[in-house]
Amino acid sequence: MRIVALVRDTDLRAAVQSAAATIGAELCEDATDGNARLLSELRPGDVVLLEQRGGADEDAVTEPGAGGDLSAMRARVRGAGAALVLARAGGPADPEQLVLADEWVLLPTGAEELAARLVSARRRTAQHHVPDDAAELVRYEELLYDKLTGFPTLPVMIERARELLERRGELTVLYIHFVWYEKIEEIYGWQKLDDVLETTASALREFYAREHAAAENIMMVSHVADDDFILFTQIPTSPELAEKRLRGIANRLETFLRSHVEDSHGEDIASLCGIYVGAATIFRNPKIRTERLLYRGIREAAQAARGAEEWERTRKVTDLKSTIRDGAVFIEYHPIIVTATEEIYGFEALARGVRRELRSPEVLFEVAEEANLVWELSRLLRRRAVQGIINDLGADQYLFLNIDPHDFDDPSFRSLNPDELGIEDPSRIVLEITERTAIKDYPRFQEYLAAFRKLGFRFAVDDAGSGYAGLGSIANLAPDYIKLDISLISNIDTNFLKQNLVETMVSFAEGQGAQVIAEGVERREEFEAIREIGVHYTQGFLFHRPRYSGLPERKSITRIANSKRPE
Amino acid sequence: MTDKTAILIVDDDPHAVEIVRTYLESRGYAVATASDGREALAKLEEFHPAIVLLDVMMPGMDGWEVARVIKNHPEYGTARVVMLTARGDFEDKHESLRAGADDYLVKPIELEELGRRVERNIKARETNA
Repeated sequence: MRIVALVRDTDLRAAVQSAAATIGAELCEDATDGNARLLSELRPGDVVLLEQRGGADEDAVTEPGAGGDLSAMRARVRGAGAALVLARAGGPADPEQLVLADEWVLLPTGAEELAARLVSARRRTAQHHVPDDAAELVRYEELLYDKLTGFPTLPVMIERARELLERRGELTVLYIHFVWYEKIEEIYGWQKLDDVLETTASALREFYAREHAAAENIMMVSHVADDDFILFTQIPTSPELAEKRLRGIANRLETFLRSHVEDSHGEDIASLCGIYVGAATIFRNPKIRTERLLYRGIREAAQAARGAEEWERTRKVTDLKSTIRDGAVFIEYHPIIVTATEEIYGFEALARGVRRELRSPEVLFEVAEEANLVWELSRLLRRRAVQGIINDLGADQYLFLNIDPHDFDDPSFRSLNPDELGIEDPSRIVLEITERTAIKDYPRFQEYLAAFRKLGFRFAVDDAGSGYAGLGSIANLAPDYIKLDISLISNIDTNFLKQNLVETMVSFAEGQGAQVIAEGVERREEFEAIREIGVHYTQGFLFHRPRYSGLPERKSITRIANSKRPE
Repeated sequence: MTDKTAILIVDDDPHAVEIVRTYLESRGYAVATASDGREALAKLEEFHPAIVLLDVMMPGMDGWEVARVIKNHPEYGTARVVMLTARGDFEDKHESLRAGADDYLVKPIELEELGRRVERNIKARETNA
């Protein structure tokens, strides 16, 4: 057997040299005077190893990049009776291209793996195993590679898993189970969820590349049906060491992925993702088909992972119950500023759990929903929010409270009597209803609103412009305030579309007798832009970054108009 | 590459493209054109435009899809995307915003307005850089 290596990467060259030595193949490599000579001298039974870099990397050995060039290459290789192995680096594998190769390997790779791929390609070509109808294959292969990560699926890798199992007689399966709370999409929008998934995918690729560099006998596949992943690996035979190594990988993986999500998207979003790892070890048994052993191992590991998830959920429910019992929540008060004068107009109360894993209000409510404790939680938070501020609220200031439309189904809320809350004057309270929660029964909902209005409460539509409801449904609620979603505000100073949309919202609101509050103002330039547009009120970290429970002092709130501009 | 600011026009109406191209070239910009999404993405790689004028209604990929690809691209994502929309109502603009656009123009295009929009986007891009 002869290997023709069209390879430039030094690590890969070293690997192929060592692989050739292992399998006793002759090696031809020449990346300096082009590939033309090598390709013109191809002989039947040769195996061509082609390095290919994904994305816009122009440093590829073959300069093909496009599928057309690769098809030409394949035609040439196959025409000579040789086999083609793609060594692919960077970016997800493109099935359309992979299908043109007899075998492929993801970089970085080790000599052992490479040798196995080269031999397998040679064998396949000898058997004329690969059908020539590329179009049909492409459709087929689309099912076989995870679109997001580019990891192959199990059917593609079953052969390799078998090899791994047979080499050592045992194989460990780590099942990586991802859970994204639906709330991410509901609250932050599908684009955010896509971003989070992309972050996870690239972190997973990076993690795998690192682990793979440290240990050769490791392989990651995607379990498409459940958006989960399976990592095959080999661990020491001694049980204590094995346990230690397993726990090591699982912990590294979880920490790695979590910190990537947290770095890119913040703690609140990271707390809405769950990563659970389950493990199982398969031992070769000559009486049982290897595939069956593998699938059995995967099932076991998956069950272990789901068990971990279940356990975590149960624990969170218990934690929530004790949170409610002990009142272990704290309230952050975010000032709302009159844009023109920069006086404090009021405060929005935001609840957070004391326990770290129940810190984010989204998680609090998600768990509460599971445990059927939403009303209890809401009551606690409302009471706390009012008690924490009512004595300090200035005579002309308002308290903004977040209300879930479900709260209106709570009889104790509906019969809300201002005395119970300790509120003397309901007109100082603004109830915020988020645009994001679908309101099913509009007429009834409006009746509730009317009853509250009669008592003097005011209303705000929260998250307006986050894309869940149009201007029409905002008008239906006839709010006193419209709170613009942060997606309309961030970078509004340089985005003219946002400026235009916010202008539209302001004149729409004024037509309705309502006022507009911009949320999420973080930069001076953003503040200046919304002041110019005439947004009535402003809220955001530019004025006050919440650090502790309690009411911020006036002096801790940044003044913009009077402070000097930085250079 | 010249020092001229590069602008890519993407529109399936060759007549509209010609008018806009002539006008922008007369104002000293370097202009490239594409008649659909695929061509636009190819041009993006070779032309590196600072600004992409992007028609919403195109056969194949619509302008919003193209905008999403551009704005999510690690290298060309800094290009300013100005949507050319026929309707220009709230929903239309909101959809453009969700696709990642920076500005919009309602068709039929007034050339002077186009000139102003192009200038302010060049300025905004410099501020961001």
